[in-house]
Amino acid sequence: MTNHLNPFEDCGLKEVHKKRLKRFLDGVQAEAHRFLGYPVSQQFDYSCLYPFLAYPMNNLGDPYTESNYHLNSHAFEREVLAFFSELMNAPDEGVWGYVTNGGTEGNMYGLYLSREIFPNGMVYYSEDTHYSIPKILRILKARNIMIKSQPNGEMDYQDFAETISIFSDVPAIVFANIGTTMTGAVDNLTKIKEILKQRVRTNYYIHADAALAGMILPFVDDPQPFDFSAGIDSISISGHKMIGSPIPCGVVLARKNHVARIARAIEYVGTLDTTISGSRNGISPLFLWHAINQKGKSGFRRMIQNCISVANYAVDRFNRKGIKAWRHKNSVTVIFPKMAENVLKKWQIAVHRDIAHVITMPNISKNRIDDFVDDMVREAEQNDVIAVKQ
Amino acid sequence: MKRITIVTERRLGVISEISESLAAADINIETIQTELHDNSSVIILTVDQYDKALQVINNIGMDAISEDAILLRLKDEPGALAKIARRFTDAGIGIRSIGLVKRDQPFAFVAISTERTAEALSLVEDVLVG
Repeated sequence: MTNHLNPFEDCGLKEVHKKRLKRFLDGVQAEAHRFLGYPVSQQFDYSCLYPFLAYPMNNLGDPYTESNYHLNSHAFEREVLAFFSELMNAPDEGVWGYVTNGGTEGNMYGLYLSREIFPNGMVYYSEDTHYSIPKILRILKARNIMIKSQPNGEMDYQDFAETISIFSDVPAIVFANIGTTMTGAVDNLTKIKEILKQRVRTNYYIHADAALAGMILPFVDDPQPFDFSAGIDSISISGHKMIGSPIPCGVVLARKNHVARIARAIEYVGTLDTTISGSRNGISPLFLWHAINQKGKSGFRRMIQNCISVANYAVDRFNRKGIKAWRHKNSVTVIFPKMAENVLKKWQIAVHRDIAHVITMPNISKNRIDDFVDDMVREAEQNDVIAVKQ
Repeated sequence: MKRITIVTERRLGVISEISESLAAADINIETIQTELHDNSSVIILTVDQYDKALQVINNIGMDAISEDAILLRLKDEPGALAKIARRFTDAGIGIRSIGLVKRDQPFAFVAISTERTAEALSLVEDVLVG
């Protein structure tokens, strides 16, 4: 039986270790209450799935291939992938994918696939791209050029156009941000494709990093182009962000014909597994499957509309206090000037150069926004910091 | 002797912050040189433990650029990188990566890694930093 004073009472550890775990849990609970700056939802309850934690679940290899390791959740993973394929307007020829350990692995997969298809390709990515991308490019030894960003965080299309003109004989691999980390800016896929067409580029590959917005744009009335219908070749979406999961996870999808090309090459080394890792998490597909079946598309739509409503409320609340805040269309990332740094630290707000942001995830209420804004204004006034007035 | 280049904001105490952090990690600075730009400082170091120093500098939140990259100061405008890239492609020098390190309006610091660093350096002397 669980002891509610210390839930670790019966876990077979020495007293000192049990106390340490309890202190750690208390700290996590306190910090979780002030968690406004990172795009992860805390609104989930997967306790009914806990019995599976008693087994060494492992989704070894390709989710569409039978495995001799039977303690897998491949069947559930395939249903999760089918759900996302529909959301992302998968092409008629089909898509292949798998549940990843998070958005970064999905981005690595997309770039790996593009590099296998175009070994001498040049990767173009904007200045506002997540820091993990240069790291991935280094691991893959993929040639790359950073493109300037506009002040709003979107790619500078003029810089992109001029840069790809220089490498006219090299296939272009475009890493497009469908929601940048800091401002939620969406790179315009229509413009990117127009530029590629104007520059007579036929050999190109577009990967979309839709870590957060991949679970927002399918549920809004007027989404920016973001999916396979907009001409992308692969996409990475996080599972632990908007859906929520105690374990980081995500989904990557790619056009099936691209994956078939690399699968043929891999066949020569004796395996058809084209995933990046071998052993894969067998629990997180169950979490995603649970959320999908519990909420359904209509539940996700309601959830997203609520997040956007709280984001609007936050912009309004900041502006009423004389702090210039804004957000992109269809984004739940509310940007405001960096100020009152102690308060930003306390609420775990990410800052970059002179801006900071709050992200109105499903667990963030209007009351929580009020508490944060009041806290920030109080600190700014105490320190005689003049807010950027409209 | 391998060089480390750091691009940081121009403010008092930067040099002492770097030297104290390196000293705390038992790394000796052998040479140090500073270039001041509008709102940025470029600090060029040689040290006795190169890899460890790179790590220490990154740990204090500064961008350390290794000797494998060429650091340039360009006009911060669309197409500026493309013009530099053209010089390398015209000379048949392959580019591994081009990345923006820091903006200092109206300029930007850019790190370029190429397949032939020594030859590449001679093509960008007019915009070279350090």
